[in-house]
Amino acid sequence: MNRRDWLRALGLAGAAAGLAPLGRQGAAGQEVDQASGFESHTVAGRTTQANRASPALVGGKVVQPQRELPVLNKTDVLVVGGGSAGVIAAIAARRAGAQVTLVERYGHFGGLWTGGLVLLVIGHILKDGKQVCQGIGEEMMRRLDKLDGAIIDRRPGVNPTVDAEAVKYVMVEMIQEAGVKVLLHCWGVDAVVNGHTVAGAVFESKSGRQAILAKTVVDATGDGDLLAAAGAEFEHRTHNVGLVSRIGNLDRVDPQQAGQAPKPRHLGSPTPVPGVNWVNLHGPEVDGLDVETLTRMEMSHRKFIWQNVQKTRRTPGYEKVYLVETAPQLGVRITRVLIGTNRVTVAGVKAGTRVADAIGVGGAAGGSHGEWQIPYGALLPVKVDNLLAAGRCISSDLRMADLVRLIPNCFVTGHAAGAAAAVAVRDGCRPRDVEVAKVQKVLRDQEAYLG
Amino acid sequence: MSPEDDPQIDAPAQAEGRGFARWLVRGAFLLAAGAALWPGWDRPALAALVPAASPLVAFSALAATWTLEAVGWLGLAVAAIALVRRRWFCRWVCPTGLCADAAGRLGRRAGLRCPRLPVLGQWIALVTLAGACLGYPLLAWLDPLAMFAGLFAPFGPRLGPVVWWSAVGVPAVLAISLWMPGAWCGRVCPLGGMQDLLAGVTGAVRRRLAGVKDRAPAEPDGWHALQGRGSDLPVTTPFASLRACHSPGWRMARRAVLGAAIGGVWAAMVRAARAAAPRPLRPPGARPEPEFTGLCIRCGNCIRVCPTAILAPDPGGHGLAGLLAPVLRFESDYCREDCTRCTAACPSGALVRLTADSKRLGAIGLPKVDMGVCLLGDDRECFVCRNSCPYEAIRLVFSEVEYTLTPQVDAGKCPGCGACEVACPTTPVKAIVVAPQ
Repeated sequence: MNRRDWLRALGLAGAAAGLAPLGRQGAAGQEVDQASGFESHTVAGRTTQANRASPALVGGKVVQPQRELPVLNKTDVLVVGGGSAGVIAAIAARRAGAQVTLVERYGHFGGLWTGGLVLLVIGHILKDGKQVCQGIGEEMMRRLDKLDGAIIDRRPGVNPTVDAEAVKYVMVEMIQEAGVKVLLHCWGVDAVVNGHTVAGAVFESKSGRQAILAKTVVDATGDGDLLAAAGAEFEHRTHNVGLVSRIGNLDRVDPQQAGQAPKPRHLGSPTPVPGVNWVNLHGPEVDGLDVETLTRMEMSHRKFIWQNVQKTRRTPGYEKVYLVETAPQLGVRITRVLIGTNRVTVAGVKAGTRVADAIGVGGAAGGSHGEWQIPYGALLPVKVDNLLAAGRCISSDLRMADLVRLIPNCFVTGHAAGAAAAVAVRDGCRPRDVEVAKVQKVLRDQEAYLG
Repeated sequence: MSPEDDPQIDAPAQAEGRGFARWLVRGAFLLAAGAALWPGWDRPALAALVPAASPLVAFSALAATWTLEAVGWLGLAVAAIALVRRRWFCRWVCPTGLCADAAGRLGRRAGLRCPRLPVLGQWIALVTLAGACLGYPLLAWLDPLAMFAGLFAPFGPRLGPVVWWSAVGVPAVLAISLWMPGAWCGRVCPLGGMQDLLAGVTGAVRRRLAGVKDRAPAEPDGWHALQGRGSDLPVTTPFASLRACHSPGWRMARRAVLGAAIGGVWAAMVRAARAAAPRPLRPPGARPEPEFTGLCIRCGNCIRVCPTAILAPDPGGHGLAGLLAPVLRFESDYCREDCTRCTAACPSGALVRLTADSKRLGAIGLPKVDMGVCLLGDDRECFVCRNSCPYEAIRLVFSEVEYTLTPQVDAGKCPGCGACEVACPTTPVKAIVVAPQ
């Protein structure tokens, strides 16, 4: 049995397990355990892993042997990372006519927005209350509006808060409607390169190490994993790494008793779920690319969150408060930042510089200033071709990165990268050679705001 | 009969022709001063020239600080000429004097006359200079050129009732001149009084050189000199009864001693009172507080030339000594990195001239953070103060104990420009506020 057949069998088994009601006869030919109602069958009996190419110890060093990787598929646009930037990039490219494959490391879409529980949609509103994040991001927000308990504080000039599960649901819905091919549980680990030209990417998953070939690749990994793998120049930065959590029963805090003691710290802000707050955590400034550090952060934050909730429960009136969950994803803010052919800078934003190749407009945190245009060049590596950056890793200076990384601004850059990738595929050119006017037209047709 | 009662005094026939020329010259100076002060110009140093032409301002600054900005030499030059040409500045240059004269003519036409008044201007000048020696020139803000500059305050970027207060000087002079023609220029104006004192010194020296006895004819006072006549007329002094038995030199000395005593005591009292009052934020380059409020002549130049309109005249919330002196508020904007316009426009040395580099060294104040208000204390995702700081002086430090971030300001890097305070998103109270040091 080859890998594809194995996968197909696994998929069938999964579908059967999901669809068949308990105790009912399953699909023809399958053995049914009548006693428990569960079913299981053998895909391949007594076998070893095919196509193994395990590293060997050679002279005390671990050496990876040369090997051919199976090519999972060929596509026009490959989006690596299914966070807020990647999902929108995939939808934008697909709607612009390209075949799109989206791969995501976790089992859900939304990245830090959902998996990181960063539920506050901040960074799309300007000083005067105008909303600059439009396009597919706004379409997503409107879909959330229609769901019950999916979003609160959707008023002009206010930063709304979403429910992570609602966002995951809406993203699945939009991705499927658009017709994007999706691979979840797939960690993009390397780029397929020809000199300076990217031809696809390599993934690790339970299916092993595989490649997807693409005409254009969008790096929406947040950490710029593909940019680094392809040899693009980047800045390696540190930032605060935290862990968000949600606490519940805040609607059952006894107001009379609660007034007697000082209010506990770290109570967070309301979410669409009644009585549940999301609690942000800054964490110390560390290197978010270092696995030892990430491990340390994860464990330290986890301990703090649990102990802090216990402390809160010891406060009179707050006895019923409990920890709903900690975020599945660590809150890594900034790691690698592309050195692009252009760059979003504080100086440019302060001076109100207008750019001809604007592919989006960023908003402000807390509505502290006016709008800033994002030049197309901020998504383009200087030397590497057929690769576009989207999300928090686009080219920005140290301070602007704090605005670039906000979720609505990731919508904007994701939208732009997806549209540009589709135009590059359509015109058969490198992303750096696309006519930005065409990208702008696609974006405007998809209701993006470009200033 | 005192000169003020003389109905003919303002129109001596022989002075008609020269009078016309004076009106023309003074009119030209008025226009030039107005142009220099006009807010549309991007030349703060030009605006500084107008009040700086006053010897009172120059001497006060010199006495108070023992230094003189380059622009202060203008005032000394005016003083040098006044030593030999008494009241020449009033007759040929003073724009406020021109306005006062015009008002005085109207008043006289309406039949109003000036009552007998003591030579207040000389006293004001003496008291101010004596105060200046103690580091506090008390009444320098009564200088007519400072008042003339203040007239332009409402044309600056900053408006409000207090700004109008800065502009009341010249209208007040006009009102005095209308009601009591000649009283301002002849009796009250400290710049006039200063020139009289200077001429008095020259006169005494000249008489001593000429060997004239002490009982020589009295020195004519400012009013006669102003009218270009009357060295033979009697003198009006605050101590008319003593006039007969003392020479002008004696009178000068007595006035100087008395004025110094009054000015000294007063300045000491004001300084003591100031020390207790809370100090507001001052423009960059401001001298230490008691000296600043004393040196500042309230000309409004700094307020008018500030491009971000963050300076305003103090409505009196920080003690009487600071009334109408410029205070700095970071309500809508901050003190720009490259701007030193207020210091260039300051005629008195209350603000030390700065360059963009030297401005970084002296702090306006230091930001203080209230973690009870700061969004970081509430785990909110706010990096605004750190990211808005043009000097990279703010760090957000993680506390293992509190398990949150706290903004910390590097006092060595922070010039107190207020960018963080302006950007801070908390309302109505800012979590980070620049406090005076």
